[in-house]
Amino acid sequence: MKITTSRFGTIDVDFSKVIEMKGPILGFERLRKFALIRHDSQSPFWWLQSAEDGTVAFVVVDPFMVKMDYEPVIGDDDIRLLEIASPADVLVLAIVTIRKEPFAATVNLRAPVIVHAAKRIAKQIVLETYPVQYALTETSPQAGTAVPRDSRQSGEGREAVSGR
Amino acid sequence: MLILTRKLGEKIQIGDDIRISFLEVRGKQVKVGVEAPGSVTVHREEVYRVIQDQNRNAALLNAGELPDMMDRLHRIVGGKKDAGEVGR
Repeated sequence: MKITTSRFGTIDVDFSKVIEMKGPILGFERLRKFALIRHDSQSPFWWLQSAEDGTVAFVVVDPFMVKMDYEPVIGDDDIRLLEIASPADVLVLAIVTIRKEPFAATVNLRAPVIVHAAKRIAKQIVLETYPVQYALTETSPQAGTAVPRDSRQSGEGREAVSGR
Repeated sequence: MLILTRKLGEKIQIGDDIRISFLEVRGKQVKVGVEAPGSVTVHREEVYRVIQDQNRNAALLNAGELPDMMDRLHRIVGGKKDAGEVGR
């Protein structure tokens, strides 16, 4: 499937790798299919590119890289909806709001996108706690010594995510 | 807008699978229960609006500056995280 985007030109996405939103990105209810594209192989940032509207893409990041002790609680209904059988199924993404000054970028920890990586289904959930605008630079003091969580980010440049 | 009057403990059925219960009234506060399938999102309206707005702001990106911006963001976050690593 070819997606014409305003950022990457025309990209060819294996249709089987497109993520289907079982619950919407709030405010974008009509967009149900997204491709998860790596910014580059070293970056903790990914793009969530709409497959239906080439002008809509979100920058997303592994929230645990931003806040080490982040503990999103996924409700039973959502666990059923996303067919989650074990925590290992789950990929958690937080939407980044880019601002003119890079240090001012914020991460939405209140409403993460929960992805079942193998089944490629996802939903934006809303947590009871955590800020909607969490400073990207407020990394915890232990961040520099923590075990890297980016084992899945090895590999070649930009590509659509595949199941694990 | 459809306006209905309900007593405590009574319910409103919406479609086949959404049910609203009125559980408690205390002064100006009403405690409401919502039963809905997992595919239906239920939020306090103000929370819903805040997240909608945040999502819309996040999606409004200036395509031209982005690759550079992404690299700068990477340095902010990745630089901290990878402080002890080599080969960057």
